[in-house]
Amino acid sequence: MTKQAANWSPYDNNGGSCVAIAGIDYCVIAADTRMSTGYSILTREYSKICKLADKSLMASSGFQADVKALQKFLAARHLIYQHQHNKQMSCPAMAQLLSNTLYYKRFFPYYSFNVLGGLDTEGKGCVYTYDAVGSYERVGYGCQGSGSTLIMPFLDNQLKSPSPLLLPAQDAVTPLSEAEAVDLVKTCFASATERDIYTGDKLEIVVLNADGIRREYMELRKD
Amino acid sequence: MESNQAKNSLLSSHDNIQRTQYPYVTGTSVVALKYKDGILMASDMGGSYGSTLRYKSVERLKPIGKHSLLGASGELSDFQEILRYLDELILYDNMWDDGNSLGPKEVHNYLTRVMYNRRNKFDPLWNTLVLGGVKKGQKYLGMVSMIGVNFEDDHVATGFGNHLARPILRDEWRENLTFEEGVKLLEKCMRVLLYRDRSAVNKLQIAKITEEGVTISQPYSLKTFWGFSAFQNPTVGAEGSW
Amino acid sequence: MKLDLSGLESTVPHFGTSDGLSHGFPTAPSFDLPITGDFDGFQKEAIQMVKPAKGTTTLAFIFKEGVMVAADSRASMGGYISSQSVKKIIEINPHMLGTMAGGAADCQFWHRNLGIKCRLHELANKRRISVTGASKLLANILYSYRGMGLSVGTMIAGWDETGPGLYYVDSEGGRLKGTRFSVGSGSPYAYGVLDSGYRFDMSVEEAAELARRAIYHATFRDGASGGVASVYHVGPTGWTKMSGDDVGELHYKYYPVTPSTVEQEMGEVSGA
Repeated sequence: MTKQAANWSPYDNNGGSCVAIAGIDYCVIAADTRMSTGYSILTREYSKICKLADKSLMASSGFQADVKALQKFLAARHLIYQHQHNKQMSCPAMAQLLSNTLYYKRFFPYYSFNVLGGLDTEGKGCVYTYDAVGSYERVGYGCQGSGSTLIMPFLDNQLKSPSPLLLPAQDAVTPLSEAEAVDLVKTCFASATERDIYTGDKLEIVVLNADGIRREYMELRKD
Repeated sequence: MESNQAKNSLLSSHDNIQRTQYPYVTGTSVVALKYKDGILMASDMGGSYGSTLRYKSVERLKPIGKHSLLGASGELSDFQEILRYLDELILYDNMWDDGNSLGPKEVHNYLTRVMYNRRNKFDPLWNTLVLGGVKKGQKYLGMVSMIGVNFEDDHVATGFGNHLARPILRDEWRENLTFEEGVKLLEKCMRVLLYRDRSAVNKLQIAKITEEGVTISQPYSLKTFWGFSAFQNPTVGAEGSW
Repeated sequence: MKLDLSGLESTVPHFGTSDGLSHGFPTAPSFDLPITGDFDGFQKEAIQMVKPAKGTTTLAFIFKEGVMVAADSRASMGGYISSQSVKKIIEINPHMLGTMAGGAADCQFWHRNLGIKCRLHELANKRRISVTGASKLLANILYSYRGMGLSVGTMIAGWDETGPGLYYVDSEGGRLKGTRFSVGSGSPYAYGVLDSGYRFDMSVEEAAELARRAIYHATFRDGASGGVASVYHVGPTGWTKMSGDDVGELHYKYYPVTPSTVEQEMGEVSGA
């Protein structure tokens, strides 16, 4: 057998889309549950949403094995944090931890595209979006993954929260009520599923507010 | 200065290390499903050396500890290495002698980390593994790929099986399949694979795992029917130069 | 496989590293490297896969009253605009600003790292770090990673004991002192406006307007720049944000819509 170059890749794209919307006193995080490789569907029931702390949730798409490693790392770091500080990590703190964690793998990146959603220390909804190597930004709503290019323009059109850079500053949280936000998320996934082969099967929606966490599911197209 | 040295060692010292970057002897698909009392798993017994059918009675379904069953496709030597790791894992777990034992969930998670760590070292174990088991009335069925992608499902299949067997399973699988129905369904999948996967051989084993433990069947063959008109004259109606 | 990490370590003794809780976790940060003979090839492939955010216009200049710093806020991944609200002017401390061009994560991370170093310098020496010193800290770190694929083009602007300071630093190891810089894909357009309108003895308001106008015109001609034009001023008491304007709205400030002259009024059709 002739010696050949490595014909395997340490990465795979398992697809999926994630959306998060921040409200005045709530945060909606949603992702589909399809996991694919190439044109094949591996499973129709894989949750992409991970609870990192009481008030922060992460939805991730990309390479499942990297995502899982990232989730396990953050869970372990959060456990250490709880032992040292005797409290849950705040969402903004978790956001920066995630950024640094991603950057420490700058030269061998986690192929994961994340949105982090939660409530900040004042109880306001917050959403952070990331690139794969850790640049991050706090936004009013965010979207990542294979369907992001389809969903993001729709969200821009419906929500267009004022840029946080504007002076005089305007509040960036979306004016929607919690129920309206959930409906909007359902609509954008139903649409993305029509045109993105990596999005579909089922939608998992997690709503975070002062009362705690609530989960909701909606069936999506399975073709 | 220091960093320059670091960089040089980074770029050169690993050039002369040889690793298995491609498989030698491989096994093809494994198909598994949940049924009423536990998990059923099927695989054929061929071992291919490239396109040569080198071995004809390779056992690719193995019991792991008391509650788990492992099936593997891909490089067979790597599978044997994994079995050695698992033997050690189960042995050390037994040595606690605390009445606890690793369940399928734990074993699956262990395999997940082993596969992912090896891909991080750019030295992957060239397998796709299927792990099934029952513990405390909980059925468990999961899969791990060469680079660490892993998930659970009601039915799984590796390699060609994902293309040929899973559509059948998605169509016909039910939560409360009986043992006989489950075996029949697996045989249907294996027969389709035998017809269309050139590295599949007609000698297979079916394993079952329930609360009572693992039973692996003796090797046997499937009844085949090669008289389908599509097999008789496959090119009829096909346009082309040949 | 060890990389020089001294750039990440703090200069003060680290407490609580041996608490036994963090086995296997990098309390002192470390970079994971791919174990491959072909680092460059892997890097190239990996970068292609993750497509970091790129495309920018940033500028900064020294004038009578201090330093003016301005930037757009767009990040694009290929043809897709991944964000219209990037904070490209990074607030290192109340007297110093950094700008962001190139890889968003590289800039953000190393500026955060620089912020830590500047604060430690302040605590150790009871005085703020000079702009010269800070820019050199950054340049030295970036130089130690040279050839490993970092992409940073930044300006460090601030006010120290010697007055206003402005340096350009990049990931190739370059570090230049100057009075007028623009970095990024939109920089040629920004330079055009900046160079033609620059005077040393401008007022703060005039300087802010020049900076804003330069960014606006760059976003107008460069597709990879856009969003919000942010303008910061650094004076003896530290920086202040002067303005943040959506360039879409700025357009109507620079090109007001004038009602076109009507040559003949259309009359009502009489009868039918």
